Amino acid sequence: MIELVDVVKKYRIGTHEVVALNGVSLSVRDGEFVVIMGPSGSGKSTLLHLIGCLDKPTSGKVIIDGEDTSKLSDRELTELRRDKIGFVFQQYYLIPTLTALENVELPMVFKGVPKEKRHSRAEELLELVGLKGQGDRKPNELSGGEQQRVAIARALANEPSILLCDEPTGNLDTKSGKVVMDIIKRLNVEEGVTVVLVTHDPSLSDYGDRVVRIRDGRIIHAD
Amino acid sequence: MLIELALRNLARTKVRSTLAIIGIVIGVMAISSIGIFGESLKAVILENFKDVANEVIITPNYIHGYTSIDARTVRKIETIPFAETVIPVKSESALVEYRGKKTYVTVYGIDVRKTKDLFELEKGTYKGCLVGSKIADFFKLRVGSRITVARKDFRVTGIIKEGARFDINPNYAVILPLRDFDRVFNDREYSMVIVKVKSIDKIDAFKKAVDKIVNRKENKVSVFEMKMIIERIKNVFGKVTLFLMAIAGVSLLVAGISILNIMLMSTIERTKEIGLMRAIGAYRETILKLFLTEALILGLVGSAVGGALSFLGGYSIDVLILKTAKYVFAPSSIVYVFLGIAFGILTALISAMYPAWKASKLEPIEALRYE
Repeated sequence: MIELVDVVKKYRIGTHEVVALNGVSLSVRDGEFVVIMGPSGSGKSTLLHLIGCLDKPTSGKVIIDGEDTSKLSDRELTELRRDKIGFVFQQYYLIPTLTALENVELPMVFKGVPKEKRHSRAEELLELVGLKGQGDRKPNELSGGEQQRVAIARALANEPSILLCDEPTGNLDTKSGKVVMDIIKRLNVEEGVTVVLVTHDPSLSDYGDRVVRIRDGRIIHAD
Repeated sequence: MLIELALRNLARTKVRSTLAIIGIVIGVMAISSIGIFGESLKAVILENFKDVANEVIITPNYIHGYTSIDARTVRKIETIPFAETVIPVKSESALVEYRGKKTYVTVYGIDVRKTKDLFELEKGTYKGCLVGSKIADFFKLRVGSRITVARKDFRVTGIIKEGARFDINPNYAVILPLRDFDRVFNDREYSMVIVKVKSIDKIDAFKKAVDKIVNRKENKVSVFEMKMIIERIKNVFGKVTLFLMAIAGVSLLVAGISILNIMLMSTIERTKEIGLMRAIGAYRETILKLFLTEALILGLVGSAVGGALSFLGGYSIDVLILKTAKYVFAPSSIVYVFLGIAFGILTALISAMYPAWKASKLEPIEALRYE
């Protein structure tokens, strides 16, 4: 369960103050697939980063599974991200020196999962995203769609209950984009993973149980 | 996995990493080579004095008005159990003449049986009048030459090999058997007593015994240890070595700055990666450890190579300056190799601290957004 209560996020750019989010309240139930849509600069990515504990709100509360994240230390926030949240970014952000398999293993390395176990789990996950036997390849030997699928596998490494996707198809062609979206949808339906997906692409709204529209830092429509 | 990741990060910028390693290699090599040289220099100099290290010189206590040591005192010294050889010495400045040439020298009277404990001969035998090599050169003396010492004639039986002592300068000395000395200078008392103590660690016990037996009522004699001079020499050369190493250390400092530089570049280039790792569950310490591990690898490799090469460096300097390489692999020299290695590793780690700290302090979202 994700709850945002009257969240405000302000940035300071030089002497100029930008209000990215202006009093946003939102709750996402376990197992729900929520698509957040809005034009660029609407504050949708900021919203996702706050849910993912990558950033802290200027005021208001972000509550994950009943825990007020503003009260957590950096270490506790790191553990929360590691154990409960999986991230999928538009630019994939794979580590270029590591193979696909090692990229998937990385969150488990940070958690201290034993080598054997993380190895077999990473192989399972690559199979899940349709990259069985491709584990030895480096990111620069993979297509954009394949890289994003590795990133999804990595996001699932520590069995998170929440998957946060920031324009996951933004850098992909329509066909690869569909493959990636189908995997995310399947995870939501079959594994019960809560998905919050941020996009400006209207064609993705069909995947969600619910679409939340955001503009100028405010939710303008939620169905 | 962290080590693996660190290795691959270093391999990503091969040229840069190699240059950083070369910096450490040069620094460690400079420090260790100079350390080896300093230690060898000290060893070469101390080698001259290795026979006198256990010697003690007993002189009259001039401050308390004593100008000589009497025979009774000598006999008391001889009873001290820690003394291996006791050599009482008489001395007097006298005119020595040979074929019209003359010069003033210090003439010593020493028991014929004991002169061999103090000097080595170049030619001849110990049983009569011995002359130092410089005196022999001055008068052009040979074994058998007849010289005049304080108007009495003596036949030279031996020429002393060139050498160095703190108590008697063998090169300018004329040594007479005690009986002859007494005949020339009318039964003088002793001017000093040279004692060879059984071992270096018995010197303190010997000194205490002298104080108890000879100096009980009055401070008749002073005891002077050769060990002290040797300690002083060691001390001075230790400082010289340290100073030279400090100069060599500058090269290690430069190497450290180069590591600091490449690590800072690395944190900037890898900002997004650091952000990603933080996002998916790396603690600040994990990032800190990753960067320190990279520096440690640079330090270890550079120091190991530098340490190995420092033998070559030390060997070259020793052969060039000291004309001998026998102290290059002495345990006391090898200490400096390990010291250099330790400094190399430490330099790498210290240099990486600031970049590693900076990387670990990055906020995940700002790092991810960094362009």
